Amino acid sequence: MLSATTVIRNTPLFGRMFNVDTDTGLEEINAWPGLMIMISFVWLLIAGLLGVAMPVTQIFELDSSLFYGAITAHGAALAFPFTFQLMVGVSLHRAASCLGTPVTGPLPALIFWFMNIGALLLALAVLLGLNISYAVMFPLPIVGVETGQWSMGTVILGFTGIALVLVTVILLYPLQIIKMLFFDNRRDDLLLSPRSLKDPGMLGMAIAAFVLLITGLPIIIVASAVLLGLYGILPMNLITWATEPVVFQFTFFIFAHNLMEAMAIMVISAVYATLPLYLADGTRKLYSDRLANLALWILLVTSLTSFFHHFFTMFPALPAALSYHGNIMSWGTGVGAALTIFTITATIWKHGLRPDPGLMTVIMGFVLYIFDGVSAIITSNVAWSFQLHGTMWQSGHTMAVLIAMAMIWIGVFMHHYPVITGRTLNKKPGYWFVGLFTTGALGVSYSFLAAGAAGMPRRFAAWNQEGWMVYGNLILFFGLILGAGMAALAYDLYKSRLISEPAGGKSAVPAE
Amino acid sequence: MLDFLYQSGWGAFTVLLFFQIPFVTVFLYIVYRKSFVDSGASDTASKKMTRVETIWMSGVIGIFLLVNIVSIPYFPAISTSQAAKLDKDIQDVDVTAMSWSYEMSEREFVVGRPVRFNAKSSDTVHGFAIYHPNGRILFTMMLIPGVSKSSLIYTFKDPGTYKVRCLEYCGLAHHDMNDELVVTASSN
Ligand SMILES: [Cu+2]
Repeated sequence: MLSATTVIRNTPLFGRMFNVDTDTGLEEINAWPGLMIMISFVWLLIAGLLGVAMPVTQIFELDSSLFYGAITAHGAALAFPFTFQLMVGVSLHRAASCLGTPVTGPLPALIFWFMNIGALLLALAVLLGLNISYAVMFPLPIVGVETGQWSMGTVILGFTGIALVLVTVILLYPLQIIKMLFFDNRRDDLLLSPRSLKDPGMLGMAIAAFVLLITGLPIIIVASAVLLGLYGILPMNLITWATEPVVFQFTFFIFAHNLMEAMAIMVISAVYATLPLYLADGTRKLYSDRLANLALWILLVTSLTSFFHHFFTMFPALPAALSYHGNIMSWGTGVGAALTIFTITATIWKHGLRPDPGLMTVIMGFVLYIFDGVSAIITSNVAWSFQLHGTMWQSGHTMAVLIAMAMIWIGVFMHHYPVITGRTLNKKPGYWFVGLFTTGALGVSYSFLAAGAAGMPRRFAAWNQEGWMVYGNLILFFGLILGAGMAALAYDLYKSRLISEPAGGKSAVPAE
Repeated sequence: MLDFLYQSGWGAFTVLLFFQIPFVTVFLYIVYRKSFVDSGASDTASKKMTRVETIWMSGVIGIFLLVNIVSIPYFPAISTSQAAKLDKDIQDVDVTAMSWSYEMSEREFVVGRPVRFNAKSSDTVHGFAIYHPNGRILFTMMLIPGVSKSSLIYTFKDPGTYKVRCLEYCGLAHHDMNDELVVTASSN
């Protein structure tokens, strides 16, 4: 038995939901992915509690540093050890079963340990006072030390954690995908559903791996220099170029922006790969692979340089021409999305669907994803950016895109669940999850966007003015509905039954 | 109408709904119908599908172009250069943001006289957003230390007390980083 399987088995409560099936000979493609998925939900639980803590600190007017600590840890946990790790787990299982390559050896182990130890170190630093918010607004960490807001020790601890996470996201995970795609030998016993790079699902995965690797390199270089300076290994005067705020900001956003785009390309390719398996007429074919691939290429080309939309309000420090370029490219991603909408809708229209909670999770995640895309392109118009940048609109966008992507991955996970665990899920709690989670996500997202429209600042521990508290209460209310949705999913996973057990209702398990 | 759409958060919210509602209505209708009503294959001719695709894509691109082209006069870069060309009598204000306050060379302004805000930060990343007395954000600027000034021209239209807020997270007292401007009716 692999060590990852043992860890899952020995985890209280969660172990039962994610227990890996060791009888099918597929443990090598299930164990690490299963463990990563399980731990990502542990992080979601933590992130959820921190999410509730934020409005609570505002309603009861608690100390503002509690709010800033919660927002730093909540955002970081939601983005990396939850959403990203969930994606890594599900996508590695998916890639392995489509390519017939095992997820074993040092790389998957390193991915797991670096991601989770890194996230823990960062969480510890936040607990010790490093309240820098989840987007590093450099040089805030250093200025915070100079002004006595937190200690240099917490900065070194937090940056070490961030570095481990960045190495996972930018180097280890893309290298694992590239290794599986191009270097590992195919083993027929692990091959469940052969796919090649011509399939939109595989193509998107390959594109995303290269985008992460290439657009992440600048921040790896800059962050390594800063970290070596902080450790005292490099003299500070050798790294002044890296601590230049504008250098750090641009390399950070080139990475952070394209990280989101890479995750988007990856998740849309997962929709392209999963939808055909549920077509009612048994076609198992998209309306058009050509259109699907074209949409991915458009998304790639337009998204790479659309990151300038993070800097419109620096004008004229960001030259107008670069703003216009960012504006056009951002809306260009909308053209790619329109093509995706057409392909998905035409596929459903043409072939019909076999409804299933996993598939409906993917579909409602896709709706949220498109909804969020609209809010994203609107703030990426130069004129609107000057009204909305730095407001809750932006937080709403960040959060909604993470929720949408996570929801799609959860749907894909529900689809793969029988192969990973040897058990099947029940329909009723599955549909409860879809309904509650969608309602909660839409409600939270509209509350944030309306708050932004009303001028409420983001990352701001004073909601009790200008009537903004209304939005805070709405966020809390819908956040609790999101939580209820997750509870339904947890119940569903907990109550899953062995495939061999006679089922109460008939539930067909589609092949991978 | 255009001023509302392009110069207020609620205008952006309106456009948001304009895009989202048709999509979700049509998409969910098709999902519902093809999952729960009649999940059989539809034998729509491929020619017709291609026509729908062409109409959809050209419609989307057309609306995207329209929405963005109409927004151009509202770009601060454009309105600022126009104001600079038309008006000789521009009031210059220097703003320096620091944790957690603003240094401003002027805090009183007159309705109708263009003001050029030249803003920079002296320590970490800060924002400089001006709120209309009715709560609407007039504009926000992001100030990265070490970068040349951010600058734009704005002409106040209504007298009143305007709130200034920092919209970039800048540390534990970020929410206390604010200021006030007073705009008076013009003397003539
Ligand atoms: Cu500030």
